[in-house]
Formats: sequence, structure tokens, C-alpha cells
Amino acid sequence: MLPLGMKILIIEDEKDLAMSISQFLSEHDFLCEWVSTRESALDKIGIYEYDCILLDLMLPDGNGFDILKAIRSQNKLEGVIIISAKDTLETRIEGLQMGADDFLIKPFHISELMVRIQALIRRRKFSGSNRLVFNEIEVDYFEKLIFVHQKPVDFTKKETDLLFYLISNKNRVLSKNAIAEHLSGDMADMLDNHDFVYAHIKNLKKKLMQAGAGDYIKSVYGLGYKWEYES
Amino acid sequence: MKAKLLHKTLRFYLYYAVILFVIASPVFYFVIQQLYQREADDTLQLHRNEFVINILPNFSQNDVVNWNKFNRNIQLTPINTFQKDSFFTTNYYDSLEAELEPYRVLNSTIVLDGKFYQFSSKFNLVENEDIIRNIFLLFLGILLLLVLGILFITKIFSVSLWQPFYRALDQIEAFEIDKSFTYTEIQSSVAEFDRLNNSVKKLIEKNLLIYQNQKEFIENAAHELQTPLAVFKAKVDALMQYPDLKEEHYAIINSINDNVSKLFRINKNLLLLSKIENNSYQQSESISLIGALSKNIEFFKEQAAAKQIQIETSYASDITLNANTVLLDILISNLFLNAIKYNLQNGFIRISIANNILFFDNDGMDKALRKELLFKRFSMQNVGENSSGLGLSIIKKITDLYQWTIDYQYKDGYHQFKVRF
Repeated sequence: MLPLGMKILIIEDEKDLAMSISQFLSEHDFLCEWVSTRESALDKIGIYEYDCILLDLMLPDGNGFDILKAIRSQNKLEGVIIISAKDTLETRIEGLQMGADDFLIKPFHISELMVRIQALIRRRKFSGSNRLVFNEIEVDYFEKLIFVHQKPVDFTKKETDLLFYLISNKNRVLSKNAIAEHLSGDMADMLDNHDFVYAHIKNLKKKLMQAGAGDYIKSVYGLGYKWEYES
Repeated sequence: MKAKLLHKTLRFYLYYAVILFVIASPVFYFVIQQLYQREADDTLQLHRNEFVINILPNFSQNDVVNWNKFNRNIQLTPINTFQKDSFFTTNYYDSLEAELEPYRVLNSTIVLDGKFYQFSSKFNLVENEDIIRNIFLLFLGILLLLVLGILFITKIFSVSLWQPFYRALDQIEAFEIDKSFTYTEIQSSVAEFDRLNNSVKKLIEKNLLIYQNQKEFIENAAHELQTPLAVFKAKVDALMQYPDLKEEHYAIINSINDNVSKLFRINKNLLLLSKIENNSYQQSESISLIGALSKNIEFFKEQAAAKQIQIETSYASDITLNANTVLLDILISNLFLNAIKYNLQNGFIRISIANNILFFDNDGMDKALRKELLFKRFSMQNVGENSSGLGLSIIKKITDLYQWTIDYQYKDGYHQFKVRF
């Protein structure tokens, strides 16, 4: 798992959303700071170092791209995830060209944000070599490899993805909608296909069991699933 | 087919001309004849008066025989009683022409040496009939020329006179509210056409403005909804995490989740429609249709598998399209979504390309969908909780943009959507 106390800066003018994200990340042992304006964001960035910055593009006193420019011009290592309500190809391309690491369109599931943050920090801080370890299970997300009791197990790309997502959000109830959206990207949330989620979860559970891993995936009253682990 | 305005005008002129001919010709003929007859009668009367005044005082009974002998047109015959003057028309044999010819005759009684004589004077009408005929023909000729002239002038003049009207009409026909349109003003010296020009211009500009406002409203509304939706999602997500929730709470949250997803979908599609309308996807490149289908098919096969739906493809030939990649992907995805969403458990989907047409056949309910409502926004006529009611509108919008056509039919138990490129 990630070391505790990773620092996140949330730049978002919508208080409710910022608080929800902040609360959620704090529960997962992240240290969060929140600013709602461009100016205060630039101040913070000038003084402190963060592991990841969540950046809203539309701020009351300016454009989020300015902040992105400032971060990159200071040669900082922070990973930046843009969270924007504006979904155009140009914005995406511009954001990524200016050095954003990821792009998340509002409204998103908070569990989706979680998995993106984890992947990002892993990639930037540990050059992608760090494996996600959970008891007997190890996930190398970037190599798309899964080991159970140090032995490689054959999972499909979707199943690997799903496992990483579940473990990243451990002890959280994940709705089927959120899982479907995570698995199928841009288009699939149009289908709302719960059977599809069910089929993948079932296969994942079966393969983990066959490999001798514990049964961590719990179904939550038709609402969704949860990777349950009591330490 | 309805008559054109000009033809209609001309037709009425023509009706009038024919009626005028039919009625005026006999009347004209009759009147001319009457006039001429009166003229003949006056002449005969004059002859008689001349005879009575100039000849009768020096005339005796003995002269009657000689008079009658040398005068063909005035004959004197003894009669017993006084008779009133009478005019009549009758035929006499003309030995010169060797035929019967019409004459106007005046019978009048004169007194010669105390005896009554019938003074009978006649007037040949033949020459005059000729004149009448000639006058009549002349009249007809002039009338005909007049009518033809009017028709001709109307035709020539109307075409140029109505020109502004037709130009306005062409523009109204070409006007489409969702396409950019500039109204070209019509120059005209006619007050009514000026009015038409101004009204049409105003109407079009106003409509465009309203449409533009509405478009912006939808776009802004959809945009503004994104952030509250994000908050909403986050809050529901937080709510879900409470450890002491009961089963019935989960049921409520589940329903909230489904609905917020639906709301999100609708919003996303509205934004997409706005973006297509605003020409946000202008870049186009040449794309292979099979390539685009293959790119998407794996994902949808997986989705379809959850419903045990079989997807079969048969491509007779590839089509190379010049289009925006994103839009083509959206088009194909929506066709897939549609085919999966309204399919039956264990259903079937067949995708084929033939003759420049892409076909999507799928199982579904045993009833044709109502075509006229199919591509309208939010006209959900199908079962489907997940439907945003916008998928087919998006398909339609994209096909319209590239001047492709989308068509639907229900055939042999299959719902078939076809896109003609």
C-alpha cells in the first residue's frame, strides 16, 4: 500500500464537493488541504510540496490552466489531476499537453478519483515499480500482473483493473454504477449494465479462490460490492 | 400538382376572353345588322320623299308604264285602297348574278290623279352584308389581338414582377433553423414585396435568435448541472459507507444511485447534442467503417454477453468515410447501445455492410416502433429504464451533419436500423 500521509491539495471552488473529497481522502489516511481560488492555490504551491494536486479548471478568479503552468514552470514533481465539468477534446488535449497527468470529468464517483490518485502517486513517486500488496495478493498495475502467494495468476485486463480498483478502495462500499463506469470508461455508463459487473465480479472471485486467496469481496445488499478486510 | 400563380391568372384571363367572344360576337353582328337595316330604310324613305316632292307633281298616269319600264328599283302599281307604309326584307332573283339576293323593300301608297298607287322601292343588301362581314371580322381580329396581347404581356411582365416573391420563397424553403443562415435582402419596387421581405427577414432573425438562446440555455443548464451532480454523487457515496445501514436503506440508496446515473446520462447526452450542434467536432479524416466497428465491437460484445446476446458481423465491403473520429465512434456506439438495450435475453444482433449501407438488425419486442417519434428527443416509446431518450437523436444528429440518412424498419421479427452513407 501507499505510505501513510500522502499530501493532497484540492483546488476547487465548490465547497460541498471539496469537502466530500477531503473527507473521503482523510478517511484513507491522506492529508488534504483545500483552496478555492487561483491566488490561494498559487500561494500554497509556492510554499509547500504535495504528492498530488486536484485541479478544477474554472475558478472564480481565473483559469486552472494558469496554476498548471505555474506548477510545471517550477519543475515540481506533483502529479496533477484535472477535475472539470468542461468536457471537450480541446480542453483535454490542452490539459494533458500542459502537463496534467489525468483528466476526470464531473460528475465522477469518488472511488474513481481514489483509484486515479493512487495510480498517479504510484507512477510519479515510485516510477511505477511499486506493487500494490494486499496480504497474499500483489497487483502490478502497470505491468498488468497479479500474484497470489507469489505465484502469477492469469487474469484478464478487465479483471486486473477491477481488482486494483477494489483494493484501492478497500473497506468501501462501491456501487455497481461506479464499478461499471470504472470498467468501461467513457461510453459504458450509457448502458448501466449491472449484469456485466456481476459477471466480472463472479469471475474475479472464482479465480482468486482457485489461486488460494481469501474471499474479500462482499456483496452489499444488491447495491454493490466491497473489498472487506479487517486488520 | 397545384397551379402556379401566373397560370392561374392567365387562366382567368382566358376564360374571360372566351366568354367575351361567345357573347359579344352575335351581339355585335346583330347590332351592326340592325344599324345597317335602319340605314337602308332611311335611304328608301328618302327615295320615296324625293319621288313625291320632285317627280310626282309633273307625273301622270300615262307615265307609269314607262317609269316601271326604265326603273328597276322603284315600281308603281295601282291599288284599290290606301295602305300604310311598310318595310320588309325579301329575296329577289338577280338575273345578272343568276341567284336570289336579299332586298330591303318599302311599300308606300301615293295618290296619282286621284287614284291610289303602290310605290314599291327596293334596295339591294348584298354589298352591305359583305361590309358587315368585313367589319365583323375586323372586330374579331382586333379583339383577338387584344386578348393575346394581354396574355402575352401578363406572362412576360408577371415573371419579372413576381421575381422578388419567388426569391423570398426560395430562401424560406432553404431555411433550416439548425443550420447557419443569412437572409439575402430582396430589392423590389413593390410595396407588398417590401413588406414580405421585411417580415420574412424579421421572422428568420427572430427564430434564429430564439433557437440560439435555447441552445445556449440547454448547454449552460447541462453544464451547470455537472458540479451539483458531482457533489450529489460524492454525498451518496459517503452515505453508502455508514456501517450501520440496514437493508432497506441500501435499497433506497440503490434507487438513488440508478437515478443519479440516469440523470448524469441525460445530461451528458444533452451536452453532446449541444456540442454537435455547435460544430465542436469539425476535424475530419478518412476512416474505414470496418475499422471503426472493430474498434468498438469488443467492448460491446462483453456488454452483450451479460444478456447472452449473440453479435454476428458480415461485411461485404468496406466503406471509407470522411468524418470526425469521435463522432463516428459515438454514432457506432449508440447503434450498438440501442441494439443491446432493447434486445431480448438470448437475443441476436447482426451487423452488416452492403451497397454503401450499414445495417444493424436486432431482436426485440414483436412490434414495430413508431418511426415518426423514433428520432425525437425524449420520445421514449420503448421499455428501458436506462434509456436517456437521446441516443437515437444523437444518431440522427450525426447522420444529418454528414448528410447520411438513418432509417428504421421492422422486418421478419427484426428491428433494423440502416445508415446510408
